[in-house]
Amino acid sequence: MDFDSPEEKDFPGLYASEAIDSKSKKSKEESDFSEGDHDKHSKKDLLIGRRKDKKDKGKDRGYAALEGESSPEEELDTKSPSKSKKSKTFKFTSSKSKEKREKSRDKDKEPKALEEEPSQKAKEKEREKEKDRHHDDKEHKKKDKERKEKDKKDKFEKKDKKDKKSKQLQQEDASEVEEVLALGYPIFGVSISLATERSRCHDGIDLPLVVRDCIDFLQQEQSLKCDHIYKVEPIKTRLLHYKRLYNNRDNDASVDDIPTACSLLKLFLRELPEPVLTTDLVARFEEVASHPKVTDQQTELQQLLEQLPKCNRTLLSWILLHFDAVIQQERYNKLNAQSLAMLLSPTLQMSHRLMVVLLCHCTNLFPDVKLIKYVPPLTSSSPGLPDNPEDIKTELRKQDSLLTQIHSEMNAGFITKKREEQLWEVQRIITQLKRKLRSCEKKQEKSIDELEHTTSAPPAPAPASQPAAQPTEQKPPTTNQSTVTAPIVSEDTIDSVPTHTVTSLQQHDETNIATSPPPIEYTVDKQTGYLLLSKSNPQRDDLLRLQIEYDELMNWQNELKTRILAERNEIFRMKQLYEQELLKAQAAPTISQEQLPAEGDYERIIEHYTRENSLLEHKKQMLGMEIKEERRACIALQVELRMQEF
Amino acid sequence: MSKKPTAGPALHKVIMVGSGGVGKSALTLQFMYDEFVEDYEPTKADSYRKKVVLDGEEVQIDILDTAGQEDYAAIRDNYFRSGEGFLCVFSITDDESFQATQEFREQILRVKNDESIPFLLVGNKCDLNDKRKVPLNECQVRAQQWSVPYVETSAKTRENVDKVFFDLIRDISSRKKQRQMDVKEPAKPSPCCQLL
Repeated sequence: MDFDSPEEKDFPGLYASEAIDSKSKKSKEESDFSEGDHDKHSKKDLLIGRRKDKKDKGKDRGYAALEGESSPEEELDTKSPSKSKKSKTFKFTSSKSKEKREKSRDKDKEPKALEEEPSQKAKEKEREKEKDRHHDDKEHKKKDKERKEKDKKDKFEKKDKKDKKSKQLQQEDASEVEEVLALGYPIFGVSISLATERSRCHDGIDLPLVVRDCIDFLQQEQSLKCDHIYKVEPIKTRLLHYKRLYNNRDNDASVDDIPTACSLLKLFLRELPEPVLTTDLVARFEEVASHPKVTDQQTELQQLLEQLPKCNRTLLSWILLHFDAVIQQERYNKLNAQSLAMLLSPTLQMSHRLMVVLLCHCTNLFPDVKLIKYVPPLTSSSPGLPDNPEDIKTELRKQDSLLTQIHSEMNAGFITKKREEQLWEVQRIITQLKRKLRSCEKKQEKSIDELEHTTSAPPAPAPASQPAAQPTEQKPPTTNQSTVTAPIVSEDTIDSVPTHTVTSLQQHDETNIATSPPPIEYTVDKQTGYLLLSKSNPQRDDLLRLQIEYDELMNWQNELKTRILAERNEIFRMKQLYEQELLKAQAAPTISQEQLPAEGDYERIIEHYTRENSLLEHKKQMLGMEIKEERRACIALQVELRMQEF
Repeated sequence: MSKKPTAGPALHKVIMVGSGGVGKSALTLQFMYDEFVEDYEPTKADSYRKKVVLDGEEVQIDILDTAGQEDYAAIRDNYFRSGEGFLCVFSITDDESFQATQEFREQILRVKNDESIPFLLVGNKCDLNDKRKVPLNECQVRAQQWSVPYVETSAKTRENVDKVFFDLIRDISSRKKQRQMDVKEPAKPSPCCQLL
């Protein structure tokens, strides 16, 4: 798996103005499982741990400590080699509104924070200040900024740590190793592509798992209809608990209350280092949104969407379609496009107007995106493996995807006992699935063989009834494989020779052996692979007719076979559905004890339906016969038509 | 790990290594399902679990059947790290596969960093003795150098198939018990000292 610097395509041109060295630095920072990255995160996590220790002192400190896990903007800042570059990247990644807030609140602090190598004392001071501020400030609005500020400071401290390596810090290093391992690669606060890479949905839809889980939960009807959706604040500790679980990939239990799900989704979006619409394109999206003509908007949006990185587009499509589903239930949740955009456009870092426009067009913009509920790969505690070959294949793909992720994470040094156990378990499930699939395939081969024998029986009389005095090796339908390949082979042998002209006739002993002792002159039609006898041969037409007819019948057979397979799958699906319903019915005893008809009525009704059904059955059979006859006629005509081509 | 055996039967992790086509999968499938697969299909990685009775005690054995081909060497380390015992297989009809065992041994020692890791050298395809390319004493010499047992097997006739697996898990099991003893013994003196 390739974890290398995804930012190149994610933020095209973002670093265009910067020196190459800073670019490479960034790439190292961003590239997921590189050692440097790991190291960096570890350090950060150390700090988180440390802050946690201090948590008890202040009431609201814990909040800040948990929140401040990672904020790539700051990563940029601290990593950039020079002051000017720092401020540049900073401006780039933060939205205008944020910047404003920052400026007004922190005019004096900003330059300090951006100073290149402030002495440790100064930093200590700053940190103290920062803490004080935390005490004073409890407003949620400001939390973001504060978190960032704090992180920034922590980062500087970290640098110092590196330089000084004081005893105390080293001790901490040792004690926090466990947490470091678990927190090495966060999901929140990294680019969309990284988050997607790190917590995949293994069914091929490129969304970070946390987004998928939240949307899955919120897409349930009772969630969509709930008037709490996107309105009620969750319990903060719960929210942070889930954030931590997802960051640690410990999310065995997914979110189960609406406010938390909404806020977790919002938190993920808010902590993205750049808007979903990308810093490059967001301005152009805004332009389009202010376009007066609604009809033009859609095509222009379409064009812009094409330019978004794939994972951004997927994420955008899912959240928009989800939001659309929310406002479809306005009757229940009292949210329309306007009010929802009011609530969520700041999170998405776009204007209210743009969000309304996107909501208005989203179903047309993403016609082929369906919000499918995620079914995670099976584990050993799952009830059983699927039986249907198609389901097995789907499951295999999921498990393979999971296995690849485990391997790449382990190769990068993300190794825990749990991971190793999981590796063996996934491998075992894959082996079982493969064995099961193989036995299924064997069974299917057998049944198809049987099918072939039965279905090829009816068409057989048709060619036989034809006035065919031809060498019949060419087309007995039962031995279709040999006959199908035969013309192709002869075509290959003749390919090198000019064969279009019927006049230049070739002799090929090896193919003629099969037909008859006297060498027959023929050519092979390049397009169809048919054998064409010389025009003088009286049997030319017959042979051609038979070949064409054979082709048509084969087509029919294939068509029927695929239909049979489709029906079989349908049967299987319905069976499953039936079982599910049965279980449901058992769970909830039948409430419907409606008015039962009198005994006599009941019998009469039954009789009526049995008679009706048998009648329908008969009719259906007749129609089936008719279809078969019509189809035969069709084939005959088709053959005549194609005969004209030669 | 030491806590787990108390919950369920002890679990021993065995890894099959060796060049491609020497019969690692054949041995595994013969042991697991008593079946012999004639047609060759390269393995990427497969894992199996089986309950067996080892010296009257029920244990679970996890077998990981790895790829012989170099193409999958990158993922090999991840498996080797978690393996507790190794069956290093070669074909007695193929000298190259015998030479390759040296590399596998080295790789395992590098990852496990333990000279005495449970390990068996297995010469497979002994039913094809008439096509033997690797002399018996050469195999024995190598096994002696490594101070590991050498066993010849046939996945086709099932000769010694159970033996290699059972010998290995017996080795793993006794090592684990030894470890537990080691942990317990030094623990004892300390309370004594406190009493004194």
